[in-house]
Amino acid sequence: MAVKIPNSIDELPTSSPRFIGHRVKRVEDTGLVTGRTEFIDNVSMTGMLHCAILRSPIAHAKIEKIDVSAALDLPGVVAVVTGEDAAKWSHPAASSPDGWGTYCLPADKVRFVGEPVAAVAATSRYIAEDALELIEIEYEPLDVVSDPVAAMEDGSPLVIEERGSNVMLQRVFNWGDTDAAFAAADHVFSEKFRWNRLGANPIETYGCISEWDPTELGITVRGAFQSPSHMALGRAMTFGLPSNKVRMIAHPHGGSFGGKGGVRGTDVSLLLSRKTGGRPIKWIEDRMEYLAAGGSQAWDRRYEFSIAVTNDGIVTGLKVKLVDDIGANGEGFGAISAAKPLAAFTGPYTIGAAQYDLSLVATNKAPASPYRGMGPPPHNFALEQMMDIAARSLGIDTAEFRRRNFIPKDAFPYIIPSGNEYDSGDYEAVLDKVLALSEYEKLREEQKLAREQGRLVGIGVASAIEPGVFDWNAYAVVGVQGTGVPEGATVSIDILGKVMVRVGFALEGQGQYTLVTQLVADYFGLEMEDVSVTMLDTASAPPAFGPGGSRLGVAITGAVLGACDRIRVKMCKVVAGLMQTEPENIQLMDGVFGIPGVSEAQMPMAQVAGTMLGASHLLPPDVDPRPEATHVWTAAGRTPVDEEGRTKSYLTAAHAVHIVLLEIDPDTGMVEIQKYVLVDDCGTRLNPATVEGQTQGSVAQGIGAALLEEYVYDEDGQLLTSTYMDYLLPTIHDVPALVMGEVVTPSPFSPLGAKGCGEGAIHTTPAAVMCAINDALVPLGTRANEVPAAPNRLWKLIHTARENTSSD
Amino acid sequence: MATMKTVRMKVNGVTHESEVEPRTTLVDFLRGPLALTGTHVGCEHGVCGACTILVDGRTARSCLMLAVQADGAEITTVEGLATPEGLHPIQQAFIEEHGLQCGFCTPGFLMSLVELLSENPDPSDAEIKDVLGGQICRCTGYQSILKSVHSAIAKLRTAGVAAQPPLA
Repeated sequence: MAVKIPNSIDELPTSSPRFIGHRVKRVEDTGLVTGRTEFIDNVSMTGMLHCAILRSPIAHAKIEKIDVSAALDLPGVVAVVTGEDAAKWSHPAASSPDGWGTYCLPADKVRFVGEPVAAVAATSRYIAEDALELIEIEYEPLDVVSDPVAAMEDGSPLVIEERGSNVMLQRVFNWGDTDAAFAAADHVFSEKFRWNRLGANPIETYGCISEWDPTELGITVRGAFQSPSHMALGRAMTFGLPSNKVRMIAHPHGGSFGGKGGVRGTDVSLLLSRKTGGRPIKWIEDRMEYLAAGGSQAWDRRYEFSIAVTNDGIVTGLKVKLVDDIGANGEGFGAISAAKPLAAFTGPYTIGAAQYDLSLVATNKAPASPYRGMGPPPHNFALEQMMDIAARSLGIDTAEFRRRNFIPKDAFPYIIPSGNEYDSGDYEAVLDKVLALSEYEKLREEQKLAREQGRLVGIGVASAIEPGVFDWNAYAVVGVQGTGVPEGATVSIDILGKVMVRVGFALEGQGQYTLVTQLVADYFGLEMEDVSVTMLDTASAPPAFGPGGSRLGVAITGAVLGACDRIRVKMCKVVAGLMQTEPENIQLMDGVFGIPGVSEAQMPMAQVAGTMLGASHLLPPDVDPRPEATHVWTAAGRTPVDEEGRTKSYLTAAHAVHIVLLEIDPDTGMVEIQKYVLVDDCGTRLNPATVEGQTQGSVAQGIGAALLEEYVYDEDGQLLTSTYMDYLLPTIHDVPALVMGEVVTPSPFSPLGAKGCGEGAIHTTPAAVMCAINDALVPLGTRANEVPAAPNRLWKLIHTARENTSSD
Repeated sequence: MATMKTVRMKVNGVTHESEVEPRTTLVDFLRGPLALTGTHVGCEHGVCGACTILVDGRTARSCLMLAVQADGAEITTVEGLATPEGLHPIQQAFIEEHGLQCGFCTPGFLMSLVELLSENPDPSDAEIKDVLGGQICRCTGYQSILKSVHSAIAKLRTAGVAAQPPLA
């Protein structure tokens, strides 16, 4: 019998859900506010040593000689590893694109500042760091290439010689007849954009405790893994081990946002464990290591955008040319960020033809990593600027211009030119609501008055899709293989009717253990306290990926409800046997199994569980007596890529429109956000409080992206933003209070109709803020096409524009 | 091996005396020998505020202090907020108002607020932001934290207690 996973909250076996859809308190929080939650750096093990990593101070150099003898002589130092050990015991890291990985410790040359070259295991971190200073390395500097455009030219220094070029991938995708759309267009608008490197920066860096098992020839790593199963597969490849010899034990971690990283440090510490005969090796990345060489850096992009537009303001074609600077190798899987925009390439609009001219380029900078949003935020930023450029040129209000181009609500499910399918939506309803909430007309009037006073006040209206529930096929075009991302859960009921749910991912911040608790409590008519959630390691957990690609809320809902349904089916059989009827006559409702309408034929779930576990001789012979089930959920209907790179990849398509009012101080270039209003539609809201939390946090990251955050390299490949004094994260002063509203169009495809919403606002916020900045700059006749729009950049734009005006 | 120094400090009401290397940071001392791992390390250069604790009632970045500098001090860490009877009102407020997500920065926020609300039981938003401007949260976008602070203020007022936990 097929497992039944409800597509709507109304289909749950409860007359009135008490938890799902409600703002419930998170079950995770008591441990966190008391400091008791076991983050990886809180853990110590018998015999444990501490690892410190020596990193290259030069962006590109041959390693002539490494002498570790003095380090080994330091009391407390147990082992040192270098590229020699890596070559002996490991393989180059898996990468995207394939074949662009390097050893975790290179033997021949370094390719970016911060690249590990040697590592020490010692009895304390202090001693390990002392020992680093005793390692002598002779480098022969090589020419550095830090500009991806220069890196593509013949004769450029090569980052990985064996590849023969710095171009990791070059491909032009054509979806529909884009040239014909441009030839037929009344107007063509083109613009160049620059999005500078930024990144995740969770407040906890990566950390792990690695053990090589010399008897089993396997490895066990405890760590701050966003996806333990994914880390396990990668380590199996790197160390040439069967995947069943690699065990990952995930710990709760202090955020990830896609950029937890940790691959190199894990592999280096595993080499040290092997060299020390299997001692546990703790490696805690420090913040400067994270900033220079962790999973920290993403999206270093040079864009050329063109759109074809009719006189009526309908966009008919889109051309995008992207040079994406991936850094020194493909081990960070930053390249998937160039593939993900295919899942929403034309945004919420009916644009019928599109072209993507994509170049991924290697340079002597830190390898690019994923970051929340995984690539679309810069794409959306540029697309939304184009929408504004066209709207202004045609004299159409920017909100109205978007309305004319929205996919209409009766067109869903809707397949976009790049192949992905949007499940559902009502984009006009979202726009109408945000216009009303923001009192848009009034804002425009206020802006008019402000402009008359010479003030630089701007209003940004931006709209974007958040693809939800990723599938590996979304990244096939950059060499990532596979279709289907499983998420499993095991639900077990004890003899008293209390429930334990076992999952394969650790706490990360999104409140997913709370969601699991809500689901089970409503399904079986329990209190939330009756449900516990625990994490298993990769050796014992059901197949699981964990958070990523706005998937886990939807995926774990499918897994938990699938497991609950399997238990329900078993229990119906048990109850039918006891009541001498057929299982189809038995119904579960509000935690009670029985024959509807027959008051004497009712059994509370706890009694059924107690009977199964305590009196299995009473059960029908074909019933498994355990009140327990596992379900592994995958998204249905995903398709492999076709020859044009098209695929049904992401299951859901959430939508949002943001409106920002801001003012630029012309004397300082500082931006003050005065009003921020957004309405989004992520389908059914399973816990509205956590949805809002994700949205608010994502707006903050989007504001950081638009105004503050930037990794700056000089031409020698030196990182100039190596501390939080230079890499600026948004503080409480930078993030405005939000006005938020919602529209709910449930997904027809997903458990309970929910849409992925974890990445959230970062898909829209940078676009909205930049639209507002450019709106403010209209009277000066200038544009800000570079992100972040930091005060120095805006000041220069404003003053150049004023000088030009005064000299006219 | 560097010369060891003896330090004596009262942490969450318990007196500790230990030998430490003079270069040991206070946070490493608290998290290591004292096993008080609720104080977290986020940047080790004094910006993120995750390691904030109270030293003689005043907030301090424990990553920027040496253990020897705290010789003779009374220290409160996040472990000192709750009692066997229950959570501190500020902790309760953060749970109720979803003032945390990953929770890694939270102990630092709580300690900064203990100092603020001890000195000023009814701060304005500007005063709250002035204090919390030194704490970075990457998850929440701060709005739920602001709500948590207002909830904490109300709880403390209703209970008629001071924010500063009793130092035994």
